[in-house]
Amino acid sequence: MASLILSPAEQDYITQGVERGFRADGRGGLDRREVTLRTNMISQANGSARCRTGYLGAGTDVLVGIKAEVNSWTAGEPEDKGAIVCNVECSPSAAQEFEGRGAEELNVELTQLLDRILGGPQSGIDLGKLCIIPKQAYWVLHVDALVLDVKGSITDTLVWAARAALLAARLPRVVVESVADEDGNMQSEFDVVDDAEDQISLEGADNLPLAVTFSQIGKRYVVDASEQEEAVAQARVTVAVSPQMEICAIQKGAALRGFAPSLLTEILHAARTIAREEFARFKAVFDAANKATAADEPSTGSTFLGEF
Amino acid sequence: MAANIIDRRRINGPQRSVEPLYTHVDAAADPFASGRGDGRALDQVRPIFVKTGPLSAHRSESALSSAAAASGAAFYEQGKIRVSCAVYGPRQGRRSSARMGSFDCDFRYAPFACSWKRRSHVKGADEREISLMLEHAIAPAIRLEAYPKACIDAYVTVIESDGKAATIAAAINCISAALADAGIEMYDSVAACSMGLTGARWVADCAQPEEDAASCSMLIAYMPSADEVTYILQHGKTTPEQTDQAVQTCTNMCARVYAVICRYLQDSLE
Repeated sequence: MASLILSPAEQDYITQGVERGFRADGRGGLDRREVTLRTNMISQANGSARCRTGYLGAGTDVLVGIKAEVNSWTAGEPEDKGAIVCNVECSPSAAQEFEGRGAEELNVELTQLLDRILGGPQSGIDLGKLCIIPKQAYWVLHVDALVLDVKGSITDTLVWAARAALLAARLPRVVVESVADEDGNMQSEFDVVDDAEDQISLEGADNLPLAVTFSQIGKRYVVDASEQEEAVAQARVTVAVSPQMEICAIQKGAALRGFAPSLLTEILHAARTIAREEFARFKAVFDAANKATAADEPSTGSTFLGEF
Repeated sequence: MAANIIDRRRINGPQRSVEPLYTHVDAAADPFASGRGDGRALDQVRPIFVKTGPLSAHRSESALSSAAAASGAAFYEQGKIRVSCAVYGPRQGRRSSARMGSFDCDFRYAPFACSWKRRSHVKGADEREISLMLEHAIAPAIRLEAYPKACIDAYVTVIESDGKAATIAAAINCISAALADAGIEMYDSVAACSMGLTGARWVADCAQPEEDAASCSMLIAYMPSADEVTYILQHGKTTPEQTDQAVQTCTNMCARVYAVICRYLQDSLE
């Protein structure tokens, strides 16, 4: 993450505060910042979302676009399944150290995390429904994320945005027909219906998980760490939880130290409590974002920037 | 060729046929009912072999070689998995700060290491990802503040792999042994262990076929004396109780792996 340099006094202030349950911006240990969400503002993508965690003008900002492509099947790939491919890129506009190859390591880490959460049956999305014709053609959903601003807690914002984009995504309908070729063998062919009205949403997108990231500071931990808190944090662990309260992925992030196993168990329990609240909050914010999309279609750059 | 000419000289099967009835065998329910393929217990790690020092015994004596040998090296075997690791450093760092040293790791599969496909010489995305995981798993154990302005590099080569999560765990164990061989100051050695969830059972240290059948994998790196989990990775869906159980079982197994490595390191000093 952004390498912020803090003086020992500042570090001490944050650490002692967290250990006593107070944080520099007035939140409690397990409080999250405000989230602003906007969906389907990119007309060229099958689904998109922009999510900001934090207060106006200063927050972590992630833009996710979903592009669906038809891939032809090659030997060795699963026969009757589609695929989800993730890619995360940190824009140099977020921090100076992301210039050139500076963000490479962070990109790999975040891509790996998103892939771990979305790229398999644990995502809840019905990959079987993404298959068009077994052993012939299938849909690939490219989930491309662009990190536009970094003010702590990228992972949670990233998963929020990806979940919103996948929920908002619409795939064109595909018509499969059986046609006989010249030898009399039956062959399947498909047609992608090119009609903006005739599109379907992703099966099982409601089951997509949300992520909660815990940062250990001193002897305690906080969720949704700010930039300063992240600079002090000794260890970080991300837990992805599905709406059914199953644990979909766990990944420990860059750290100077490890967790005691007992603290880890405590964190896993806290993750579920927080996830339950987060799903309710997500629903409210997502519904509001969808209403806003219907009311005023973004057409120019200024509406794109809108509330951001 | 008309398809409707019937061959009358041979006995033909009926035009319509039905599938025979089989007694229903629910293979998915418990594939480990009759034990594991290699006769291990469910919570048993494959036999471990560790050796520190350079791979070829005479290399360090060759006066002709002007290149400096690694500060520490180790070779690690766990069942079919074979991993070698060389540690360089502490040496002058490129990226390290004045306050703390840095630990970098480079993980490579040999082109012939994997069962499915020949690896390309170009570093793949998964190798870069695993390098990062290894750094995160090992760095908490090293006293980096004791090496300001220096960097420590570990180069890991997988000679043979058998189960992806198990290979990463083996790499972590191998680096630990190599770091000890190099005399790097550490809080504790890191031991790692992986498990796979098949049905409702956690199976320790999965080989490739077992891992393919598993619905979820868990990897934990643990420092037993310091009682700290330095890395945790879960890939796949579980209930929270299963995760809790996995953390507990995995840390216990890490302690056992740790005992093996420490025993070797102690013996090697005598």
